Amino acid sequence: MKTIMKQISLFSTLMMFFVLTSTAQINKQKKANKDTENWRYEIECVGIGKPGTKVIKVWSYSKKATIAINQAKKNAVHGIIFQGYAGGAQGCTNQKPLTNDPALEQQKADFFEEFFKDNGKYMKFVSTSGDGTPTTMKVGKEYKIGVVVTVMVDLLRKDLEDAGIVKGLSSGF
Amino acid sequence: MKKILLVCSIALTAISTTFGQAKKPTIMVVPSDNWCIKNGYFMEFDNQGTKIKIPDYKKALQEDSDVLLVISAINNMMTERGFPLKNLESVLKTLESNAAEDNVMTSKDSGSDIEETPMDKLKKVAKADIIMQLTWTVNTTGPKKSVTFILQGLDAYTDKQIAGAQGTGAPSFTAETPVLLQEAVTAHIDNFNASLQTHFEDMFENGREVIVKIQKWSDSEFDLESEVNGDELSYVIEDWMAANTVKNRFSVLDVTENMMTFEQVRMPLHNAQGRALDTRGFARELSKYLADLGVPNKVVVKGLGRATIILGGK
Repeated sequence: MKTIMKQISLFSTLMMFFVLTSTAQINKQKKANKDTENWRYEIECVGIGKPGTKVIKVWSYSKKATIAINQAKKNAVHGIIFQGYAGGAQGCTNQKPLTNDPALEQQKADFFEEFFKDNGKYMKFVSTSGDGTPTTMKVGKEYKIGVVVTVMVDLLRKDLEDAGIVKGLSSGF
Repeated sequence: MKKILLVCSIALTAISTTFGQAKKPTIMVVPSDNWCIKNGYFMEFDNQGTKIKIPDYKKALQEDSDVLLVISAINNMMTERGFPLKNLESVLKTLESNAAEDNVMTSKDSGSDIEETPMDKLKKVAKADIIMQLTWTVNTTGPKKSVTFILQGLDAYTDKQIAGAQGTGAPSFTAETPVLLQEAVTAHIDNFNASLQTHFEDMFENGREVIVKIQKWSDSEFDLESEVNGDELSYVIEDWMAANTVKNRFSVLDVTENMMTFEQVRMPLHNAQGRALDTRGFARELSKYLADLGVPNKVVVKGLGRATIILGGK
């Protein structure tokens, strides 16, 4: 009987640990998604990529380094659509966002919620670049992680144009 | 019944597609005068004692591979964006072959040749509604090379720069000039297109910006100070402009008894029937209005963006 009780209590502790860990993980992921929505990330250009692509470094924040690394891809696509980036070294020119409508994210909330869900369609347009080694900095209680990614901007724009989210150059003609 | 519904829906779709779209401007990439003259691709004329240099595009395209590369790269990227461009080299070839055909063409019945006025001859040049003018210079500092690239979108009729992108690329020890040029196009084309898109969006909201000129034949009985419909003709025309432009937007640049120039005229993209409108159609409305008031006139157009109404007859 004692053995069974011991086993049950061990199992319960393990379960509790598992639930708490996964809840914490989910909360951190939710926090990361919230940061993306609140523009809490930075983008810098690191070079001219192949035609139709942009090579950028995305700085994301999280208490857990792996979450910040995973969130980098989402932040990169989000930034290319809504934020753009300033020019810099390596011949980088400033890049305007794909939309110049500041209210687009709210107007098409349903589309973007689906598009940016975890492992959503945004993954199709971004990949880690180079050796993918992130640059890590500790800022207060958080990590600030920089990851170099390549965004397939032309494909992304085409997809958004086809979905009627952004206007194409020849729309209306 | 089903068939009738099907036919109706197809007809409605066709009507909305035909009437819902504005006239698409044509765009062509052209090397700038600055680049052509710096690189020796020009013709020199003596115009009453003043030496005038005119770019020789044909020579540039035949002798410089870099210009072909840049034009091809831009054309390719614009086609991918769903906006194919007119190709300068093809336009020049078509002009040449058309001129040759016109020279030998005769009527089967009378043997007469093609009628051509001096004005028709003047209009036979390579043109587009928007010119993408490109300039680049290769900078060398010791063994390092970089490219300064300027791309300007010029409205051929209003003479305004409607889009642009420029900058100097990263210096390189090893890359060849064509590679640096290709990189420059890749770096700048998106920004150029973003400003072009802003221009198009403004056009859809506020109308197409055009220029309308009023002139008179020397033997015309009407000038712009003539009394028509109880007012001076210049004011009658100005009132028509105010009533027929988008948000009453236009400005009068010059007025004399013989001529009047309207600039920044924001004409609607569609007429009352929903048909796509160009400057010719817009000027035709004014022409008809003047004819109804007893002022005979003639409309002369230049592409999508400039029209002249000449008072006094055809």
